[in-house]
Amino acid sequence: MKPAVRSVLAVLILAIALSILLISCSGPQYLSFPLDPSGRSLNSPYAELSPRSVSQYLVFVSDRAGSQDVYVYDLNERKLLDLPELNSLDMTVAAPDISEDGRYIVFAGNRQGKSEIYLYDRQLYKLRSLTSNLSAEVRNPSISADGDTIAFESNAQGQWDIFIYTRAGDPLDISTNPR
Amino acid sequence: MVEHSSIAKRFQQWIGLSIGLILFVFLMSCQQNMALASSDSSNSLNSLYADEQPALSGDGRFIAYVSNRNGTRGILLFDLKDQKFIDLPRLNRPDAIAESPSISNTARYIVYTASDRGRADIQLYDRVTEQVQVLTAGYRGWVRHPSISPDGRYITFETGSNGQWDIEIIDRGTIELDVP
Repeated sequence: MKPAVRSVLAVLILAIALSILLISCSGPQYLSFPLDPSGRSLNSPYAELSPRSVSQYLVFVSDRAGSQDVYVYDLNERKLLDLPELNSLDMTVAAPDISEDGRYIVFAGNRQGKSEIYLYDRQLYKLRSLTSNLSAEVRNPSISADGDTIAFESNAQGQWDIFIYTRAGDPLDISTNPR
Repeated sequence: MVEHSSIAKRFQQWIGLSIGLILFVFLMSCQQNMALASSDSSNSLNSLYADEQPALSGDGRFIAYVSNRNGTRGILLFDLKDQKFIDLPRLNRPDAIAESPSISNTARYIVYTASDRGRADIQLYDRVTEQVQVLTAGYRGWVRHPSISPDGRYITFETGSNGQWDIEIIDRGTIELDVP
């Protein structure tokens, strides 16, 4: 075999080996966030629950401040965002979700035994209940990334059903029930 | 004489065959009617059984959730615009329970937890290839509540591997993004 042919073959074999290595490496990878004891980062020594992430924002629930509150972490800037008027001392929150532009946050809040789905506007710092005329338990809200549609569970019919509302708080104009 | 009897025999054969055919058609139509009647109640978003854990797609058109209807607990995907369910072949299995669904922009990717080999894993279903991928194979620790970013690249989840619930993110790297 000529040396030129041999070197070409060697290069080829090397390239194939490298590409196999690269392909096997490009699988899922874990991004861990360092634990920050002061509670100013994503993870703390307390519980971090129900995370939902859209492009840049990660919304979650944590009890790091002594009560269960909603937090938003900015993944680009690597810091927590201010959410004035959102968390209050007499309300426990669960299952938050956020729209892709980071403006709207929905969550299930319980105040004095009454559960509501709340919508928080991060631009106007306004908190508002979407389910004040629904006398049933509600939980697990989800907002579409465009921020226009909100789905949640309610037991108004005697079993858990899915309710779909617009952001204005009106039921979506479709028939959802078999009865 | 011989010819006559063979004609009678053939006639009898034809009669038998046509009776069989009529019976068969009748049975088939009956079955179809029954199938329609039974699926009528489960063709709407909600049922008389528990329908839980809703997750909307980025454009708000699709909703994935967990339902107890039809005698099993599984993940359903409903198209709110066309008002119909979308088939998810190979996602729900008879020997496992799938929970906590989350979907990307156009519901191409569905992540959820399912108990595979006795422990809960985060799995990813691709509606284009109809394949299931286990994302947390070999992961040390309890995982739950996965959520996929609208473009389908990142999956956020709760991990119990540090002794309390913490948040971790899976980067799927170079994939076909689900952009509308």
